[in-house]
Amino acid sequence: IIHYCLIKSHKEAAKYEKKVMVLDFVTPTPLGNSWGLGGTCVNVGCIPKKLMHQAALLGQALQDSRKFGWQFPEEVKHNWMTMTESVQNYIGSLNWGYRVALREKKVTYENAYGEFVQPHTVKATNKRGVEKLYTAERFLIATGERPRYLGIPGDKEYCISSDDLFSLPYCPGKTLVVGASYVALECAGFLAGLGLDVTVMVRSILLRGFDQDMANKIGEYMEEHGIKFIREFVPIKVEQIEEGTPGRLKVTAKSTKGNEVIEGEYNTVLLAIGRDACTRKIGLDKVGVKINEKTGKIPVNDMEQTNVPYIYAIGDILQDRLELTPVAIQAGRLLVQRLYGGATTKCDYVNVPTTVFTPLEYGACGYSEENAIQKFGEENIEVYHSHFWPLEWTVPSRDNNKCYAKIICNIRDNERVIGFHVLGPNAGEVTQGFAAAIKCGLTKEQLDSTIGIHPVCAEVCIRSHLPIPASVAFWDKHNLGR
Amino acid sequence: MAQRLALRRLLAGPGRALGTSAGRPSAFNVQDGGDFQERVVNSAKPVVVDFHAQWCGPCKILGPRLEKMVAKQEGKVVMAKVDIDDHTDLAIEYEVSAVPTVLAMKNGDVVDKFVGIKDEDQLEAFLKKLIGA
Repeated sequence: IIHYCLIKSHKEAAKYEKKVMVLDFVTPTPLGNSWGLGGTCVNVGCIPKKLMHQAALLGQALQDSRKFGWQFPEEVKHNWMTMTESVQNYIGSLNWGYRVALREKKVTYENAYGEFVQPHTVKATNKRGVEKLYTAERFLIATGERPRYLGIPGDKEYCISSDDLFSLPYCPGKTLVVGASYVALECAGFLAGLGLDVTVMVRSILLRGFDQDMANKIGEYMEEHGIKFIREFVPIKVEQIEEGTPGRLKVTAKSTKGNEVIEGEYNTVLLAIGRDACTRKIGLDKVGVKINEKTGKIPVNDMEQTNVPYIYAIGDILQDRLELTPVAIQAGRLLVQRLYGGATTKCDYVNVPTTVFTPLEYGACGYSEENAIQKFGEENIEVYHSHFWPLEWTVPSRDNNKCYAKIICNIRDNERVIGFHVLGPNAGEVTQGFAAAIKCGLTKEQLDSTIGIHPVCAEVCIRSHLPIPASVAFWDKHNLGR
Repeated sequence: MAQRLALRRLLAGPGRALGTSAGRPSAFNVQDGGDFQERVVNSAKPVVVDFHAQWCGPCKILGPRLEKMVAKQEGKVVMAKVDIDDHTDLAIEYEVSAVPTVLAMKNGDVVDKFVGIKDEDQLEAFLKKLIGA
């Protein structure tokens, strides 16, 4: 399983006249699903996710449009198959594009499962079981992760994961999403946006690792918009009541706080409880590459080198690194430039921006509020924040107090912006530019002296205000109503 | 890819019927490398090869249009269809990058080619050139 970023680094290596080979193989899901070249992001991650999120946003836009004068029949329906076919067609074109790109750079491509058998040697097994051996001077592991299953009766037989969702050949219907990761919340979000009955079962907190203040706001918004949450329960059994596409499933769940047991019936159960690195069955022991036995992740130095000098690794399988496509791409590209192009630049993992595409989108760069307090001390940070009401939401009377921006500054360092958080439409677009500014050492003063663009959501980030007592909702008079 | 294929079959409907009003099929789906060798490379008649993909919108327009124009040539030219995902090796061998790509082949050689959609008149000219030359 090779990630998209690997293709980038192979293209990069091939630029330097190195003979390069890619071994890409997707082990089918428990339900038999597989996909083409491009890795998780392209096939079963970012790309289809964002397209389906867009489908849901368009549904909302249709509702809003009536207030802007568009007239059409009351009931507007969504066709899952039409959307899925379009999404899969686009992915198919990307898969082919990568094949062509590899060929153009004269990279040898094998759709085969690679595993180390001895130093400098891999065995490649294709889907027909034919084995070939290859030797190389250097190796790059970018095998990524796959969804974790619960380990309860019925999980692999009846539940689906994100590996299955984006090409599901039938509408999932009433869905239970298990998990509180961004994958869980994003999927629950767009499924509900398409008109499905969605419940999210959460073991403890939402979006572990993210700013919890923002995570809770995201959850609240989803709940207010019809997504049900079952908190502090975990499934213990999934049974099939009726076969079908979709069928009917019975889920039994137990409280994490006591002995209470509940049952529910759903058409589809989507597991999004985490992902596990694909490092355990690729022969790493045969070549001495150390992995974290508990997590399966590979520790690397700041040059993405494993403990074995000629073996490198990038992407989601790295220990203590961010699991993001652009991070892997950048790391891969820079690695090859260092190995063959004489460059010395290392990948900068600090202040990497990211966006969660929940119904209310969340863009972030830098420290969460709790991490900033922990690292710098509460007395040394200043948090500026503001709610805002996007102009586009005013006419259709959408929530006027849900969108929110928060800037965290380090008082001891010239009020340097160390954390940027925005909850609102197009959060990713808003965050990208600020990430570049933060990389340049943006301070609160510079932010204040930047003139806003009006009327856009992002201008609130320029003019957010001091924290006020929790009971008072503060709205700058320029924001209100606009 | 099992699920993706299941999805496509559901959407494509029954079969991939290829036929002409004259009753004699002028287009066929290439089954494998050997089939291509036998029915395209070693073909006595000139062949147009339509490289297409399931995920390609324009291919769905060009395919039937080309078939119709081939049928009009009354058996003087044959049409072979190659799905580039099913026969990636072939597509790579003939340097297909974008789809649809149509090759005109005579006696095993590529004598003409175009990429993208063409209208009926353009297709007719393309075919006549292949037959005539």
